[in-house]
Amino acid sequence: MEALRTQLLLPAGVGASQAADRLAGHVALVTQRAHTIDRTFWDTFDGRLHSAGLALIDSSSRVALVDATTYAERAAGDLARGQRRLLAAELPAAALREALEPIVEMRALTPITRVRSRMLPVNVLDELGKIVVRLYAEEPTALPGGDAKLVLRPRLQVVGVRGYDADFERLVLLLTGELDLESAQRPVQDDAVQATGGVVGGVSSKLRVTLAPGERADAAAVTIMRRLLETIEANLPGAIADVDSEYLHDLRVAVRRSRALQRELRGVFSREPLRVFRDNFRDLQVLTGPVRDLDVQLLEFGDLTATLSPSVAADVAPLRALLERRLFVERQKMVRGLRADRTRVLLDNWRDFLDALVDAPEGDRPDAARPVADVAGERIGKVYRRMVSMGRAIDEHSPHEALHDLRKKGKELRYLLEFFASLYPSDVVKPMVSTLKGLQDVLGRFQDREVQADALRALGDDIAAIEGGAAALMAMGVLVERLTAEQEQARAHFDERFAQFAAKPQRRLVKQTFG
Amino acid sequence: MTTVVALYNIKGGVGKTSAAVNLAWTAADEGARVLLWDLDPQGAASYLLRIKPKVRGGGAKLVRGKSDPAALLKGSDHEGLDLLPADFSYRNMDLVLDATKRPTRGLARVLAPLADDYDYVFLDCPPAISLASESIFVAADVLLVPLIPSPLSLRTYEQLQRFVATEVAKPRPRILAFFSMADGRRALHRSVIAELEASEGVLPTAIPAASDVERMATQRRALAQFAPRGRAARAYVQLWTELRGELSG
Repeated sequence: MEALRTQLLLPAGVGASQAADRLAGHVALVTQRAHTIDRTFWDTFDGRLHSAGLALIDSSSRVALVDATTYAERAAGDLARGQRRLLAAELPAAALREALEPIVEMRALTPITRVRSRMLPVNVLDELGKIVVRLYAEEPTALPGGDAKLVLRPRLQVVGVRGYDADFERLVLLLTGELDLESAQRPVQDDAVQATGGVVGGVSSKLRVTLAPGERADAAAVTIMRRLLETIEANLPGAIADVDSEYLHDLRVAVRRSRALQRELRGVFSREPLRVFRDNFRDLQVLTGPVRDLDVQLLEFGDLTATLSPSVAADVAPLRALLERRLFVERQKMVRGLRADRTRVLLDNWRDFLDALVDAPEGDRPDAARPVADVAGERIGKVYRRMVSMGRAIDEHSPHEALHDLRKKGKELRYLLEFFASLYPSDVVKPMVSTLKGLQDVLGRFQDREVQADALRALGDDIAAIEGGAAALMAMGVLVERLTAEQEQARAHFDERFAQFAAKPQRRLVKQTFG
Repeated sequence: MTTVVALYNIKGGVGKTSAAVNLAWTAADEGARVLLWDLDPQGAASYLLRIKPKVRGGGAKLVRGKSDPAALLKGSDHEGLDLLPADFSYRNMDLVLDATKRPTRGLARVLAPLADDYDYVFLDCPPAISLASESIFVAADVLLVPLIPSPLSLRTYEQLQRFVATEVAKPRPRILAFFSMADGRRALHRSVIAELEASEGVLPTAIPAASDVERMATQRRALAQFAPRGRAARAYVQLWTELRGELSG
């Protein structure tokens, strides 16, 4: 059973000792010796621990996963001196890894803020002189690096003692009532993150925009594009530094979404500049493609080989090493490209272009001033109908490309629904997204297995040439066979999923809503 | 896994409570999660920890499984040490246990739901040999017996060893002893300790008859709180180290 706890904010400027003095007139208490604690808080870039109500605290080479507000410990482990990046999968197979892995998955943990606090413990006593409530008056300072120090609002942690709940409640009532202290709405590490210019809860790559149906289509496009540009820029340093694979993933998704919107809402942009930007964004996508493909192959390597018998699984080890070598080479190329001026210039120019778009001449921008709901509705309806006709044309003799093309179109529709979800009733958008997702899952599995099998085949010559290559090649044959079987299984589900997506009630609803 | 250590002696006034409180405190100081159950209706351990010797519903409800033991626990002044307080109704423990289905399992049943929460449970036992004692023998992994270094107390220790060996069903608790209230100025104490200190099951460290231990009753605190550098406090730390070694070995 965990002790009762709450955190209160002390008035700004009221130090720990003054707080204890104020309280002394109301209850019997003993002040202990003050001490200083230095904590570095870790999280993933997108704040997965924060979302889970947890914090990872490093102090003196020991790292502990704790509840974000009570600091009750869930698991702990050691940290190498000077370590600045932590992957759950690289931890020893113990409690800390077990606790972290399902939450952070492939994301790296890095230090997000450092807080040094002077803590003054104060014990509240009952009539027998027994401790019945523990108080910790905290004077925290955020340390953003160098000599900088940012004084944060002082706090009072109130911690109950087991079996003395009534004393705890009486004291909290006194502190919040008579002494007028307010509850802390968030833990000290969030204060520190904000004070040092970080984003509390991590940087999300989710596209959350709210549009008004009547606003100009070009203005709406700018709102969405700016958010996507923010995501690209936020993830660029992590993608270059290879902190983890998700920076590049999120960057690529934002680039792909940008390209989809450039294409789908082309009527709000001037033709010539748009052509140049579309080319440049395509180049950016091409630049980052090989590394992402190899990232995916390595991320899925464990799952792919998990069902192989142990001896065959051991045979594929040279394949993993080869993928890693290729990734190293491709990454160097990609990093050079991302660091190059042309990437910086592209993003700067794109921002300037977006800033000026609404005021730009409308001669070759026929959709610019139209209400966004009209323009978006047309596009959603059109892409949906196009998908229906593409899907209907697919039968058992259709080439794989027909399914791949349908998947591409499906991504386009998915992005449109995400961009413009705020314009339409959720009871229309949600089921549409749901059936689309069902279809895309099948198409995705179909294509991914093919891509994986092709990638393995393409490595054949290289694998054959290395030591242990023959055994690896045979093991790869088993993998390719399995991937092909899985691709066929996915294909078998297509008709059913497509039927749900293109069902008559759905078609009717799309027509009513989007025209 | 929890280890249950019962501070037990048929005789009273041999330093059971002082040992229970100081050893539990020392274990908690090392970072262990510790529970002390004050089974003596006199409530001396509860008194020393400034906790009222009162259990809601009394000992009968607790032993019959009608009270949740976790709800009766009290945190001590040490964050790692909780107390299941004494209650005057424990004086009738034999009668209460006798009325249950398997009397000798009564105390183990109370402790079972708390097992995951603690590394060590110390039982401060009342002096006697009775049904309650038998229930203690079943619940405990170790009987830790404080011995005053005198021939008479050695005799009762032997009686206890015989009783456990012949009357207590397996798995029997291990029996360990240590000298308590030892006075180095007394020849008798010195000779008894010299005779037995290397014996199997006797821990090397003797707790001295020190005024600090007596002062615990006026201070109402563990030795580590008010005389941490005194001879007695240091002896308890040493004794705990030896005991921990025995428990883990």
